Amino acid sequence: MLTKRPFVIEALTALGLLAAPFLLPYLGFAPATINRILVWGLFGLGFDILFGYTGLLSFGQSAFFGTGGMVAAYLLTIAGFPHVVTAIVIGMIAAAIIGYLVGLIALRRTGIYFAMITVAISEVFYFVEFNPLSDFTGGENGLPGVPPPSFNLGFMKLDFNTDLSMYFFLAFWYFLGVVLALRIVRSPVGLVLSAIRDNPLRAQAVGHDIQRYKLTAFVVAAAYAGFAGGLLGVMQGFMPPDAFMFDTSGQLVMQTAIGGPGTLFGPLVGALIWLYLQDFLQGVLHLGSTWKLALGIVFVVLVVFLKRGVIGGIVDLVQLARGGKKAHEAPESDPNAVAEPETSPSLAAAVVPRSPVTTSDKPVIEARQISKRYGGLLANSNIDFLVKEGELRGVIGPNGAGKSTFFKMLTCEVQPTAGQILFNGRDITGQTVTQACQLGLTKSYQINQLFTRLTVRENVVISALAKLRGPFRMDMLRAVESVPGLSERVDQALALVRLTERADAPVAELAYGEKRRLEIGLALASDPRLLLLDEPLAGMSPSERVETVKLLKSIREGRTMIVIDHDMDAIFELAEKITVLSEGKVLVEGTPEEIKNDPVVQEAYLGGVHE
Amino acid sequence: MVNWGNLISQMFNGLVLGMLLALISSGLTIIYGTLGVLNLAHGAMFMLGGYAGWLAFTYTHSFIAAVVVGSLFVMIVGIVMERVIIRSFYDRPHEDQILVTFGIGIVFVEAVRFAFGSLSKIVPPPEMLNGIVNLGFMFYPKYRLALLVIVAVALLVLYIVLYRTKLGMIVRAGIEDAGMVDALGINVHKVFMLVFGIGAMAAGFAGIVNAPVVAVSPDAGESILVQTFVVVVIGGVGSFPGAILGGLIAGEIISITSMFNPGYAYVMLFAAMTLVLVLRPYGLLGTAGRD
Amino acid sequence: MSLLEVKGLNSYYGDSHILFDVALEVQPHEVVALLGRNGAGKSTTFKSLMGMVKPRSGSIKFDGHELVGRAPHEIAQVGLQLVPEERRIFGSLDVEENIILAGLSAKNKWSLDRIYDLFPRLGQRKRSSGTALSGGEQQMLAIARALVRDPKMILLDEPFEGLAPVIVKDLMTACRKLAADGLTIVLVEQNLAATLALASRAYIVNNGHIVHEGKTADIKADPGVLHRYLGV
Repeated sequence: MLTKRPFVIEALTALGLLAAPFLLPYLGFAPATINRILVWGLFGLGFDILFGYTGLLSFGQSAFFGTGGMVAAYLLTIAGFPHVVTAIVIGMIAAAIIGYLVGLIALRRTGIYFAMITVAISEVFYFVEFNPLSDFTGGENGLPGVPPPSFNLGFMKLDFNTDLSMYFFLAFWYFLGVVLALRIVRSPVGLVLSAIRDNPLRAQAVGHDIQRYKLTAFVVAAAYAGFAGGLLGVMQGFMPPDAFMFDTSGQLVMQTAIGGPGTLFGPLVGALIWLYLQDFLQGVLHLGSTWKLALGIVFVVLVVFLKRGVIGGIVDLVQLARGGKKAHEAPESDPNAVAEPETSPSLAAAVVPRSPVTTSDKPVIEARQISKRYGGLLANSNIDFLVKEGELRGVIGPNGAGKSTFFKMLTCEVQPTAGQILFNGRDITGQTVTQACQLGLTKSYQINQLFTRLTVRENVVISALAKLRGPFRMDMLRAVESVPGLSERVDQALALVRLTERADAPVAELAYGEKRRLEIGLALASDPRLLLLDEPLAGMSPSERVETVKLLKSIREGRTMIVIDHDMDAIFELAEKITVLSEGKVLVEGTPEEIKNDPVVQEAYLGGVHE
Repeated sequence: MVNWGNLISQMFNGLVLGMLLALISSGLTIIYGTLGVLNLAHGAMFMLGGYAGWLAFTYTHSFIAAVVVGSLFVMIVGIVMERVIIRSFYDRPHEDQILVTFGIGIVFVEAVRFAFGSLSKIVPPPEMLNGIVNLGFMFYPKYRLALLVIVAVALLVLYIVLYRTKLGMIVRAGIEDAGMVDALGINVHKVFMLVFGIGAMAAGFAGIVNAPVVAVSPDAGESILVQTFVVVVIGGVGSFPGAILGGLIAGEIISITSMFNPGYAYVMLFAAMTLVLVLRPYGLLGTAGRD
Repeated sequence: MSLLEVKGLNSYYGDSHILFDVALEVQPHEVVALLGRNGAGKSTTFKSLMGMVKPRSGSIKFDGHELVGRAPHEIAQVGLQLVPEERRIFGSLDVEENIILAGLSAKNKWSLDRIYDLFPRLGQRKRSSGTALSGGEQQMLAIARALVRDPKMILLDEPFEGLAPVIVKDLMTACRKLAADGLTIVLVEQNLAATLALASRAYIVNNGHIVHEGKTADIKADPGVLHRYLGV
């Protein structure tokens, strides 16, 4: 992952870029190849934000690469526009606008649909460039005569007409691209993008408008592609029509996958390997057009064996060399360590983060006659339900009683077929889960829904960001840490679920019990007015259960909570009032004592057919 | 002014192309439906069918032999591909599956280019189907007419295999719930292998029977793959009837637009796809399910 | 010799430990129940037996075969059959196709007539698609799919869940008939009355551990046990 130290990566990049034209030729790189690597690397920066960080695998980037390049080349040749950089920027803007429009369509679907739609997009642009727009694009001839940049500084004229001077022109833009991309991935937007990659449903559920974030990533990628396309024409003095070809998209995808997606530098490394092998196989081994076959095989082998590309492979090797993974196993769920911090002052402060709420008569959530029908199955029918401020309500019921459907309706994950849900007196029926979360209603899931490739802290930050920044904000250049109030809130949430010590551990390294606590921590970090816990004890060992019940008691202060669980002892211990659901209806409601001794409940649990 | 004779003959061309796309798309969609893998090498399968058939033809001079060899060869390629590579990708993310099949497709294309060069290869139609026929209202190439019948029969066979045989029963059940099929004593891995083979064969068969119309070249599969994707998005992923409907729609759009300006064929195709995505995001005959 | 012998079985969902050293023994022709609260690990036990959840350790001996590490289709071939809680009917196939599909790979299979004798409702609806069935019919079909393979033992997971009492009675009659014909049945069911009426012996599962084993008659007679592990 990217280091926290400021500007280390930037400085190393600058050094590398300065040294490369003098070192790489010794390894057999032709100067023109080095320049092409930079263009592909810049093209790939945007693509990596889209694919590596946001998880959207697009095969349509050639459309934006070509658009940016053609617009810039058209301005500089046929239109006779003199300013090279301005023309490239205009090309970039054109590509971004096209990206926005295409994104509106392509992002209607995810996964394989998205991939298929983007393949179609790239082909459409290719044909449009070739035929209807050939007057502007030169059709299959492309646009020759694109001038190199040159700046008249008054006292001297800077011309970029040699390979080396062109290199520095390109390196400057690549460096700027890296600096910008680093800002983006370290910004709140960047973190939300990673959250979308890891778990789009949870990113939505903690209150982020993921559709707009995805569109943002798509436009950013299109802009990078457009700029790189402009540079391509300027570098070659000719804008080739094959920039629009599906092959261009494919090459970008392969280079990124070879280098390592999600690293920003993966595409550059991939381009380096790709173009080097191309030169080597063609020029040195005289394999002619066979180079692509060889590269294809290399690519397949890499995808099969190296899941995270060359950079990922190197990282793994380094970790292996350092003596395997650090000892990260949790001190095997030591109940003492967990009970202890309760006395620590910081936690005591954290336990009462909210304005002291006492049980009042004010209803927080109220369901009026809600029903849910799935086809012929009536999962919930006419449920009336009311929880008051400060209450801790338990919901129990035998299997198939409709508990999870009921919970999903309360959190707006599914819409009731009939009825009305009020939250703080406001009708939230028909709202999305994102809107509900923004209003202060959050759920922790029965099956962990975490952002698995991020650290514990980043997970909590993602949830807190939604509360602090709203469902969508384009603060792409701000550092995550500089969001006001964020670190306090995150520290509090981590302390509440006792994960402060583990804040920097990747989620994948957590023990199961810790993941369960983080699951609750994610919900807490959005500081909900109403917290719903769906089977918080699911899958826990008896000692973990004891721990978690303690934890729930400790966060209970000042919050309104509803808990579903199968562990009735735990529910009886936690809740002051219990609702029993059976066959999609409310069977009874009452105190734990009343419920325990209610024959109707016994009957529901133990079965109705007597002989 | 619209030339009606021309329009009708283009609509016929659209029908032929549409049926062909329907067949190829059915192959793609049953593989995706059953195995959950989007095969980006599917276009290459189409191309391989053409080449294997062409090779068989140059040795035997028999069109029938070309069709048989072309289809069977691609089926075997599909089975081997599933067995050796795809199988280890079922548990990996969609993106990895897409990447690996994309790479495999490139390897196939480049291997063919390596072996036979970039020049296209011609497979002539059988003697009796050479020339044109007078349909009363227009003249039409005999082979294209025959192709319509050949592909219709192939689709019918595929339909029968899917809906009227035990294998088809297993495949349909496997699309729904492969785990339960396994628990009922049927080795789903073998079924997966076979489905991959049949799906690939649909593309390979299309590749060889189309060879007399469009000569085979290493890059022939690429545009077919793109068109197939549009067909599947329009029809609905995993739906056999959807593939047929989508194929016919796409075929007609391409042919009729090409009559006015071939450059806009893809624009119109894309416009149709966009329309479907806006109005029915899961495709005309698809259901919300796998994504 | 016992038909099924499970020792030290540990199963996980992902990294969540569900079953802890589960041990079970079932004799041929027995009807045995697994009792326990929701989430106790009963369904996971069944899925582990069927190979649908891969146990991390332990042994499952069934009719002389070791089942741990086997694929579900191999386990089905040695005569064990799960009727899953969600029933998992193939909706794109009709009733008869569902049954035929299930019997495809069976060595001995029941005739369709024998199935329809046991569940006349299925005979009347044999051309209906799986999605068009009522809950009770789906349950019958799920059981029929297992029976057509002529298994030595069936695992019934919540067969009566969500069904009307009339249907439950029908299904219980069918189960009694099967047991009388010598089929070994292991049953998970919330409906305690029905379970205790069907099974002769029961295990109680709590938090993934087997905490009690005994004759159903004894369990009925000792409300303390019931209250401790199941009661509310």
